[in-house]
This record gives sequence, C-alpha cells and structure tokens, in this order.
Amino acid sequence: MSTPAAAIAWEFRTRHRWGLIAIAAYLVVLAVCRVRLSAAPEYHSVDTFAFFVVVPLTATFIYFLAVFSYGHGGDLAGRQSIFPPRMFTLPVSDTALAGWPMLFGTIVMALLWLATRVLALWPKGAEVPTVWPALLAASLLAWTQALTWMPYPLPGMRVILTILWLASIDAIVLVALHYRAHEWMMLGILAPNLPLAFFVARYAVGRARRGGASSVLGPQSSVLRSEDRGPRTEDFRSPARAQFWFEWRMYGRTLPALVAVLLPFELAMLWIYAEVPPLVYEMLGGILLTPPFMAAFVAPAASAAMTPFIARRPVSGGSLIAAKLKAAAASTAVAWQMVLIATPLALHFSGTMHIAMAPVDLLIDVFGAPRAIVLLLLAFLGLIASTWKQLVQSLCIGMSGRPWLVKGSVFATLCAITMLGLGFGWIVTDAHRFSVAWNAIPMVVAAAAVVKVIAAIFVISRLRTPNQLLIGVIGWNVVVFALFAILNWSVPGLLLSSGFLLFLSILEVPLVRLAAIGMWNRCG
Amino acid sequence: MPDPVISVSGLTRRFGAKTALDSVTLTIERGGVYGLVGANGAGKTTLIKHILGLLRAESGTVRVFGRDPVSDPQGVLSRIGYLSEENDLPGWMRVDDLIRYSKAFYPGWDDAYAEELRTTFGLDNAAKIKTLSKGQKARAGLVIALAYRPELLLLDEPSSGLDPIVRRDILAAVIRTIADEGRTVLFSSHLLDEVEQVADHVTMIRQGRIVVSAPLGEIKEAHRSGEHLPSLDEIFVARVGAA
Repeated sequence: MSTPAAAIAWEFRTRHRWGLIAIAAYLVVLAVCRVRLSAAPEYHSVDTFAFFVVVPLTATFIYFLAVFSYGHGGDLAGRQSIFPPRMFTLPVSDTALAGWPMLFGTIVMALLWLATRVLALWPKGAEVPTVWPALLAASLLAWTQALTWMPYPLPGMRVILTILWLASIDAIVLVALHYRAHEWMMLGILAPNLPLAFFVARYAVGRARRGGASSVLGPQSSVLRSEDRGPRTEDFRSPARAQFWFEWRMYGRTLPALVAVLLPFELAMLWIYAEVPPLVYEMLGGILLTPPFMAAFVAPAASAAMTPFIARRPVSGGSLIAAKLKAAAASTAVAWQMVLIATPLALHFSGTMHIAMAPVDLLIDVFGAPRAIVLLLLAFLGLIASTWKQLVQSLCIGMSGRPWLVKGSVFATLCAITMLGLGFGWIVTDAHRFSVAWNAIPMVVAAAAVVKVIAAIFVISRLRTPNQLLIGVIGWNVVVFALFAILNWSVPGLLLSSGFLLFLSILEVPLVRLAAIGMWNRCG
Repeated sequence: MPDPVISVSGLTRRFGAKTALDSVTLTIERGGVYGLVGANGAGKTTLIKHILGLLRAESGTVRVFGRDPVSDPQGVLSRIGYLSEENDLPGWMRVDDLIRYSKAFYPGWDDAYAEELRTTFGLDNAAKIKTLSKGQKARAGLVIALAYRPELLLLDEPSSGLDPIVRRDILAAVIRTIADEGRTVLFSSHLLDEVEQVADHVTMIRQGRIVVSAPLGEIKEAHRSGEHLPSLDEIFVARVGAA
C-alpha cells in the first residue's frame, strides 16, 4: 500500500471481503448456468431471468451503493455527512477523498454490468444494451455518494433529496427508453452525471471536513436561539414530563418540520392540476401519505439505543419507553394537524373541493351516511395511527443497540420488498396464479395473525414485570376487539368475512413490537 | 449490620468469545473511598455498568443498597451520582437546561448546592454543553452528579485527559462527598497516584477477575520489601501489569 488510493481500495476489499466473495460465487454459478443451460429454451424465460438475475443483482447493486457511499456506518437520517470522519484527518486532498471511492465504485458497477451482460441467460428476443446500463448504475452510485456525503441543515433531508434526485434520473432514462433512444443518446444523457456528481461530492466532502453541518430546526438550531434566550421556563413537575421534554427536543420536532417543508409544494400542485381530476386524487393521496412516509425516515434516529446518559435516569425502563411513545404521539399529532388544517383550505381556495368530495359522495351512496363517515374516520385514524406506528415500530430493534440486528433488519426488509414486488408481478400476469393467490388471502392473513400471537406469547413470557404484562394483554385485547367491532359494523359481512376482519385487527395492533422494546438492557 | 452499599457475587459477563467479567465477587461497605484499578479492557467499566443496572447479569447477582439495579432502577439510580470519562451529556442542552432536566429526577436535589457548584466551577448558565471544553463538560457532569448529595458516588475514569485543575476539582468533590457522613465513593482510575491520594480501599481487576481487594494500608504492608513501602503504582505493576 504505497499510495492513498491503494489504501482506500484495500479498506473496501478487506472490510467487505465476505460480501465480495459471495458475489463472486454467485457470478461463478451464473457462468456455470450459462454454459450448461444456454441450449435449453425454457431457461430463457422472463420469470427465470427475474428470479435468478434481477433479484440477486438488484440486491448486489443496493449492497454496492451502501459499500461505496459508506452507508453502513453513517446515520442516513441525521444532518451530518455520512462520510467517515476518521478519513478527514488523512493527509490527502478533498479531491482524493471523494474521487477514489467514486472511481472504485464506478469500476465495480461497470464490472457488475459487464458480468451480467456476459453471464446471464437473457430472455429470448431481449434487446440487451451494450454500455449505458453500466453508466446508469455508476451515475446512480455517484449521485448517492455525493448526496449522502453532503451535510444538511435538517435531519431526514438527505433521504428526501437523494430519493427525489435518483428518481429524477430514473424518470429521464425511462422517458428516453419510451422513445426508444439509441445507445449513443443514452450515453449522451448519462455521461455528464459522473463529472457533475464528482464536483458535488468533492464540495460535500470539503464542507463536511470543515464542519459544515449547520442546523435549521434541530435541537442546536440557530433559528431557535432567540426562543432559547427567552425567560427560563419553570421546573418540570415530574420525571415523566422532563423525559418527554427531552424526547420532544431530541426527535419530536423532526417529523413536523419535514412535513412543513414538503406540504406547501404538494398543496401547490392542487392549483396547477385543478383541471385534471385524476392528478388531484394522486396529489391528495400523496399529501395524506406524506406523514407516514416521512415518519419512516425519521424513525431510525428516534429509535436509536438509549445513550448511557438517558439509561442512567432513575426511572423504570417502562417510563423511558413511555416518554418515547408519547413524544412520537405528539410528533404525529402536530404533523397531522398541519395536514388536516392546510389541506381543506387548499382544496377550497384551489377550487378542487368538489373533485375531492366526489368519492365521498359515492361512498355515502353505497354504504349510507353513518357507515361512510365511520369508514372515512377509520381511514384517517388508520393513517394517523400508521404514522405513529412508523415512528415507534422499530424501537424494539433500534433500542437493542446491536448494529448487526439494525442493519440485518433493514436488509431483510429490502429483500422482502423486492421479493414481494417481483412475486406480485409474477402473480398478476397469470389468471390462474392470480385466482389461487386471491383465494389464499384469508389463509395468509390468518397464518400471519397466528404467527403474531405466537410471537406475542414468546415476547411477553420473557418480560419481567407481571403487572405491566397483564395490563398490556388486557389493553391489547380491548383495542383488537374494539377495532374488530367497528370494522364488522362498518364493513358488511357480505364484503369481508368476520374471521378475516378479526385477523386483520390482530395484525394492525402493534403489541408485540412495543412489548419487545422492554426486553433489552437499558443501554443496549 | 447494615446492608453493604454494593454486593456483587459470582458475576460473569461475556461479549461473544471474550469474558469481560469472570466470577467477580466484591463487597463495598458504607462510607469511605474505594479505588478500582486495572489495565484497559480489564472489566472496570463493565462492572460499573452492572452496578448501574445498564447491563443484566448473565450469571451471578448484583445488589446495590440491597436492591437489584436492573429490576429497580428508580430505587438504585436515584441514590447514585455518576461521572465518567466518556462524558455523554446532550450537547444541545444549555447548562441551565441540564440542571433543570436533571433536577426533575432527584427528589433530594439541593438547588443552593447546585448553584454553589455551578458558580464555583465557573459554568455559564446560558452556555450550550457542546460549546464547553472537555474540562468544563466534566465540571457540568460533576454538578449534576453531586447536587442531590448521592449516597454513592461512582466515578469511572473521571479525570482521564483532563487538565490538573479539573482533576483537582474532581478530587475535591470526592473528599467533600466522603466528608458527609456515611457516603461512599467508588473511584475507577488509571491515575494511580490520584487513587492513592484519596482511596482507603483498593480493588485491582485483571482480565475480568479481582486479583486484590483490601484496605490500601494492608496491600502496601503485604508488599513491603524491607524498609521500602511500595507505591500503588509499583504494586499495580507487580500484580496486574505483569499480565
């Protein structure tokens, strides 16, 4: 290792050797399949390609994104750059710090595409591109690096900007493909991304290296300083209030702040698309999904293991967890308050209220006014509860303080989403498969509910506080049966069976995850 | 005979293949200053985390004031003052926020004493913790560790990397704490001369096992070589450093 570049490459290679060995082994298997099975036409189907090439390579692509952007060790939802701070003290320029990981990532992505192109059994008749997918993968990686290494003024902003930017690149590529752009055209569209991303990455690393993460709304906020300078507030009346204040100041304000940033842009679309009802519905859907969607990005920071400072508070573990749950509830309430006040006003003043009310009128016609109102309330409460659930459901993982469990759960979730997406596509493209799957839904829901009850028994049996356990079990049953009763009344049995609604109610109440929070050491 | 302040019996803790604590048995009686010394990774912090109830005992028992710190954190932690080398005070709080917040948890909080400590240490109420120097952060930690006059003061490498003035403040706090009748201090440190200055009982830990635990005078006498009464440093090298 005579150069910084060799040292950086060595670190990637050594730290991720097991992942790289697994990918190499997969490529060897792919090569063997190519040699042995290329003559058999049944192995050239779209389904085979999806399961044996698309799924593993998508996972590999995501893995490389995490590896070369240093996403394994950083807090994606935080404000600070995720570039490893230990590297800032290396005697190399910002260009080298940003450039070498970007170059290595580009080479690896190009090799990944090359291997896929050469080794995969492509579906018959598929037009396999030559180079541009390699450039697309490298561009997506380069922008991921640039945008995740940048320090931001708001927690969660990194995730939003990165997703929006990468989705824009994807959208441009899809439009180009729709118009059957030539290979050279694709290269022309994608090529500028690499130098542009490099300049942004170099700026980001330079800024992070010189401590460029200034907060706008976080606890260290400069905006809030004037408030901080105000008269001192009174003492807290109880430890629970003090702990709630702590949780609110640390994590509670992030979700409302993110919703406040996004909401005006979304509401503005109602004026722009006022004459196009389908787009108004899409925008309304987007607005209503904003709090739960944003909550998913806020959750990792709010669910982190307790610091020793908090773990040493002389209160029970249950009180510390209760403060987190209450702060999440307050955060959800403030975020939804903004949505529920601003959206009707925007609908009214943009003249789109009648469009938004049309499905409500239809619902009233079909179910009658009382049931329709209950169904609508249930839908809104479901969205609000889902926002809170997003904020707290990963507490049982995050508070374990075990990085392998946190990362493993993220990886497992990504794999499950990918598999479900592909499985869904596989099912809906065939009438017979669709029919079988449709009929199996009640069984699947029932099986999931049974698994959940077994998990609840396991978790509850490991808790050490019998009183809380009893209260938890009674509370859970009350909520499940209340939900079941409301669903049973508002959705007539002709549409969905009572058993199905009961299992659905069991699945919706997050008892197991909440109970599991108390299983860990106070400090992870 | 009153309950010992700390009673650890047969405590074993493993992190993967590494045994951090191996059948540790230790009793700390009320009153006096107990020094806990050992090399890096010997298990001092793991032992202190068990005493605080931040880790569950895998085997063996831990009792503090006769209670289990894991199942009764409220009863135990409200009587312990704690300061560590890894000062983890929330950087976004101001000094007065920190004091106001900490006060809510301790019924015995003494406002006048907290204010006296704050002014003695020269801490500005409006200063944010993250803007304080390492020494000032240690002082802020000391204010919230002492202001409720804890029965047990736990200091885990409190003065590592601090300047002599802050170290003096910490030592003064130890002395002040023991001056109050019946209070106990458990003081883990690498700085053996400091331990020697204030401790009247020393426990040496090596690779997760207690190798010596006795009054400082007895340990010194046991290692006397003719007229030469060895320092704690020399005894430490002989008993622990030779590992």
